[in-house]
Amino acid sequence: MISNYFKTGIRVLLRQKGYTLLNIMGLAVGISVFTFIFLYIQSEIRYDRQWSDHQNIYRVTSEYSVDGKVEKIALTPFRIAEDFIRDFPEVESATNMFFTDPSDVNDVSSVTYNDKVYEIPDITLSDQNFFGIFNYDFVEGNPDTALNTPNTMVISTEMASMIFGTESAIGKKLNTVVREYIVVGVFEKKCNPTHHNFDAVVSVSSLEKEGLLRLKKDWYWLTCYTYVKLCDTTDIESLAIRFNDYADAKRSELTQEENLEIDGYFHNKFEEISNVHFNTDLQYDSPSNIDISYLFIFGIIAAFILLTASINYINLATARSLKRAKEIGIRKVIGANKRQLVFQYISESVILTTISFILALSLVEMFMPQFNQLVGKELTLVGSIFSGEGLFFGGLLLLMIFLLAIIGGSFPAFVLSSFNAATVLKGNYSIIHKFGGQQVAAGLLRRFLVTIQYVVSIGLIISTFIIYAQMDFLKSHDLGFEKDNIIVVNTPDDTSFRHRFPKFLVALSKDNSVLEVSSAMNVPGYTESKMLFYVGDTSKQNIQALNFYSIGYNYFELLRASIAEGGHFEYNSFDEEYNSYIINEAAASFLNLDTAVGTKLNISFNENFKEGKVVGVVENFNFSSLHREVEPLVFLLNPKNARYILVKFKDGQKDKVMAHLRTVWEEFNEDSFLHFGLLDKKLESLYKGDNNMLSIFIYFAFFVIFISSLGLYGLTSFLIQQRTKEIGIRRVLGGSEFQIIGMLAFVYLRVVLIAGLIASVIVFILLSSWLNTFAFHISMNGWYFVAGITITLIIAFGTVFIRSIKVVQEKPSKSLNYSG
Amino acid sequence: MIETIELTKTFKTESVETVALRNVNLVVEKGDFIAIMGPSGCGKTTLLNILGTIDDNTSGKYTFFGQDVCNLNEKQKTAIRKRNIGFVFQNFNLIEELTVYENIELPLQYLGWKKKDRKQRVDEVIDQLNISHRKNLFPVQLSGGQQQRVAVARAIIAKPPLLLADEPTGNLDSMHGEEVMTLLNDLNKSGTTIIMVTHSQRDASYARRIIHLFDGQIINENLNMIR
Repeated sequence: MISNYFKTGIRVLLRQKGYTLLNIMGLAVGISVFTFIFLYIQSEIRYDRQWSDHQNIYRVTSEYSVDGKVEKIALTPFRIAEDFIRDFPEVESATNMFFTDPSDVNDVSSVTYNDKVYEIPDITLSDQNFFGIFNYDFVEGNPDTALNTPNTMVISTEMASMIFGTESAIGKKLNTVVREYIVVGVFEKKCNPTHHNFDAVVSVSSLEKEGLLRLKKDWYWLTCYTYVKLCDTTDIESLAIRFNDYADAKRSELTQEENLEIDGYFHNKFEEISNVHFNTDLQYDSPSNIDISYLFIFGIIAAFILLTASINYINLATARSLKRAKEIGIRKVIGANKRQLVFQYISESVILTTISFILALSLVEMFMPQFNQLVGKELTLVGSIFSGEGLFFGGLLLLMIFLLAIIGGSFPAFVLSSFNAATVLKGNYSIIHKFGGQQVAAGLLRRFLVTIQYVVSIGLIISTFIIYAQMDFLKSHDLGFEKDNIIVVNTPDDTSFRHRFPKFLVALSKDNSVLEVSSAMNVPGYTESKMLFYVGDTSKQNIQALNFYSIGYNYFELLRASIAEGGHFEYNSFDEEYNSYIINEAAASFLNLDTAVGTKLNISFNENFKEGKVVGVVENFNFSSLHREVEPLVFLLNPKNARYILVKFKDGQKDKVMAHLRTVWEEFNEDSFLHFGLLDKKLESLYKGDNNMLSIFIYFAFFVIFISSLGLYGLTSFLIQQRTKEIGIRRVLGGSEFQIIGMLAFVYLRVVLIAGLIASVIVFILLSSWLNTFAFHISMNGWYFVAGITITLIIAFGTVFIRSIKVVQEKPSKSLNYSG
Repeated sequence: MIETIELTKTFKTESVETVALRNVNLVVEKGDFIAIMGPSGCGKTTLLNILGTIDDNTSGKYTFFGQDVCNLNEKQKTAIRKRNIGFVFQNFNLIEELTVYENIELPLQYLGWKKKDRKQRVDEVIDQLNISHRKNLFPVQLSGGQQQRVAVARAIIAKPPLLLADEPTGNLDSMHGEEVMTLLNDLNKSGTTIIMVTHSQRDASYARRIIHLFDGQIINENLNMIR
C-alpha cells in the first residue's frame, strides 16, 4: 500500500512539474535564507563569549569633555591596568592591548627570518596577563608565561605556518628594523570570534624604557585597550564609582603639578566583554563591531521570510491538492477509509517538505562561499549546527518542517477526505464552492498576509533605491579635494629611514608620470588623531581638543585643496624646528577667530613642540567619512615625521608610476616590504558597512519579492479554480482576454497599492533616520516610492498573468465544462 | 438483497430546499439487472450514490443484505462498500497517476490482499477483459472504450455481488458502448447484480427491470420481456 502512495505521490508531483518546483523551491529558498540569517546572527552573538568566566571580564573605555563636546573613546591611558591590580583587590587581573588600526591596509609590519621578509598585517603589544584573561588555544608555548619577558612575541598559527612552514616556531628569532624578537607561543586565531584584531603580540616590556615610563605616568594619553577580570562577587557599579574617584584624584594631582586648568570631565566606563562587539558609539574601536539593531532587523526579516514561505507553501500545496479531489473520491468509492487517506496525503506532504529541507540545506552549503564573502566571515553549516544553539535551531527547523507537512497535507488529508465521496467525485469546482469559496480564496487572513508580504517587498525595493542613490551620491560628492590618482605609501618602521627620507622624496618625484610628492602622519580617510591645544594667549589657558594632522611640504598642493586666507607653509630645510600651523575654515569659525592668521597655538603636554602660530586657513574639505560634518582641523608642518608618503600621478599612468615607485623603493629600502594603497579606494572603504547593507538589502529584496510572488501565484491559483466557469461565461458573453485578466489582477493590484502606501510611510520614517546618520545626504524623492510601487505592480500583474493566461485562452466550452 | 423504504433525499441551500428523491421504495433481488431511467435532474445518480453508500439519505430506510445502512458510520459503510459494491462511472474515474494494472489492483490493496494473490487475480481479470497488453499504460494513453473496460475490471476485481453503473456508455461511441454493455450483461449472467443509470433505451434493453424516475419518484417499473 505504501508503495502505491509513494508511486502516486511521485507521479502527481512529476505531472505538475511547474507547480511542484515552485512549491519546493519556495519553501527551500525560505528555509535557506532563514538558515543563512540564523548562521549570521549566531556568529555575531558568539563574539567574545568563548573566554572562560567571560561574564567577569570587562573592557574599560573613556569618556571626556573639554570644550562642551563629549568624546567617547575605546582607548584608555596605559597606566590604569597597573592601578587596577595594585589598588583594587576585586580586580583579579588586568591587561592592556595597544591600539592598531586594522582598517588601515597600509599598516602592516615587516619581519625578517632567514633573510626573507614577511609581513604581519596587525601586530600589537600586550603584557603577561593578556593570555590569562583571554584563554586563546596555544598550539605551541605556554600562555601563562608568554610575554612576561622583553623582546618576546606570540604569533598566530597562520603566521607561524607562513614563516616557519611545518617547523616548530618556539625559540625562533624574528627581526624587525627595531629589534629582535623570540617567538614564545603560537595561538589559534580562527574559531575565536572576538573584537580583538591581531596576528601577533609583542611583550610591552620590549618598549624602550623612557617611552614605557612616560606611558606609565600619563593619565591623558589614550593609547590602548584595557581589560579587567573581576572576582565573582564584584559590584561593577560601585567599582566604577570608586575607580573614577581614584582617577580624578590622581589627575588633579597631575594638573596641579603642571599648573593646568581644564574645564571638563574624564570618566572611565566598564562594559561587559560580550557587549563590546555591539558597541558602535566609540572612536578607535574594532571596525567589526556592529549595531545590534541590525541583528534585530535581520532576525525579523528572517522570521518573516520563513513565515511567508511557510504560508505560501501551505497555500500552494492546498491549491495543488484541490486537483486531487477526484482521486480522493475514487479512492473512497473503491474502499479507502479515512485513516488510509490521511496517511497517504500526510506522508506525501512529508516527502515534499523533506525534499525542500534537503534542498534548502544543499543551497546553504552551495552558496556558503558567496555568503561568507558577502558578510566577511568563514562560516560553515556543520560547524554551526553542531553547537548548543545550532542543535536547538536544527530541532526547531525539523519540528517546523514536520508541522508544515501536516498543515500542508491537511487539506486533502482531513478536509477533502471528510466530504462524502459523491461530493468529491463531482470535482474540485464543487469543493471550492463548498469550502474554498468562503474559507480558502477569500480568507481575510490570507489576504492580510499577502498585504504584509507586499509591504515588506515594496519597502525593501524602495529602501534599496534610496540606499543605492545615497551610496552613488557619496561616490560623486565633491569632497573639497581631489582624491583620484594618489598613491599612499607607508614609510618603513626604520629609524634610519628618517635620514634617507628627503632624498627618497626627491628621487620619487623624478619621473614624468609623477605630478606631486608629499608626506604626512595623517591622510584623509586614515587614522585620525586629536590633540589638546592652547589657543591664543597661553596665559589665558584656553584649551581646546581639536583634530590634528601632522603634514609635510606640498600637502595641500597635492590634494588640490585651496587656501582661503594667508598662505602655504614656507619651505625650510627638513631639520628646522617647526611651529607653523594651518587651520581649516571650520576651526577658524569654531575658535571664533575673526582673523585666524597670526593666532598663537601650542600643543599641550608635549615639550617637543614649541608655541607656534597660524599662517593660513585652508578651505574646508571632507577629511573623514561623509557621515560626519567637516570638523575643526589643525595642520602642523612637521616634514621630519611621516608615516605616509603621497604620490600624485598623471591620469592613466598608474602602471608607469608603480614601476617607478618600486624601483626607487628597492633602492632606498631593500629590507622592507612596499605597502601602499590608493587614496580613492581607501575613502571608498569608509562606506564598507553601508555598502554591505546595500548588498544585503538587494538580496533580501530579491528573496522577499520571489517569495511574495509565489504567495500571489498560490492565491491566483485559488481564484482561477474558483472562477474558471465564470471565466468561460464571460468569454462566451464577449469578454476579451485582457479584460478578464485585468479583472482577476485587480483584486491583488489593489492589495499591492495599499501595501505600497503603508510601505512608503514606514520606509520614509526609517530611512530618514538612516540618511540623518550622514552629514551629507540626498533628499528623499517621490520617484523612489513611485518606482518601487510600480515595479511591484508589474511583477504582481506578471504573476497573475502567467497563472491565468492559459485558463483565459482556453476555449470557453472547456472552462464551462470544468469540473476538475 | 437491497430494500429501500420511503427513501428521501433533500438538498438544502440557504433559501431553497430541493427534493432529489421522494419516498422511493425499491427491492433488488440477487442477480437482478436494473436500469434506472428518467430525465436529467430526476434523481437517478442520487439514488445510485445512496445505494452505493457514497451519499446519505435524508429519511427513510435502506437495507443491504438485511443490514440497515442508514445508521452506519463512515467506517462501516466503507467496509460494506469495499467488499460488496463495484462502481462504473460515465467518465470512468480512473486515477490518472496509476497504470492500468495499478488502477485495477487498488481495491485489493484496500482489502489487504497479499501481493501474490493480487497479481494472480489482476492477471485473471485483465485476461478476461482482454486488456493485458495495455496493463502498463496510463489512462490517458487509452481510448474511452478501453478506459471503461479498465473501470469495469477495477469494479469487479474484488468479485463484488453488486455492480453500480452510472451512464457507463455515456462517453463512448456506439461500438465501444456495445462492447461495455455486453461485458455487463456477461457479468450479470455469471451472477453479479447490476443497477445501472442510463439515458439510453438501447442500454436499458440489456436490463431485466427498467425503473422510471421523475422528480425524485418512481413513476413506473417495466419488466424487460425482450431480454
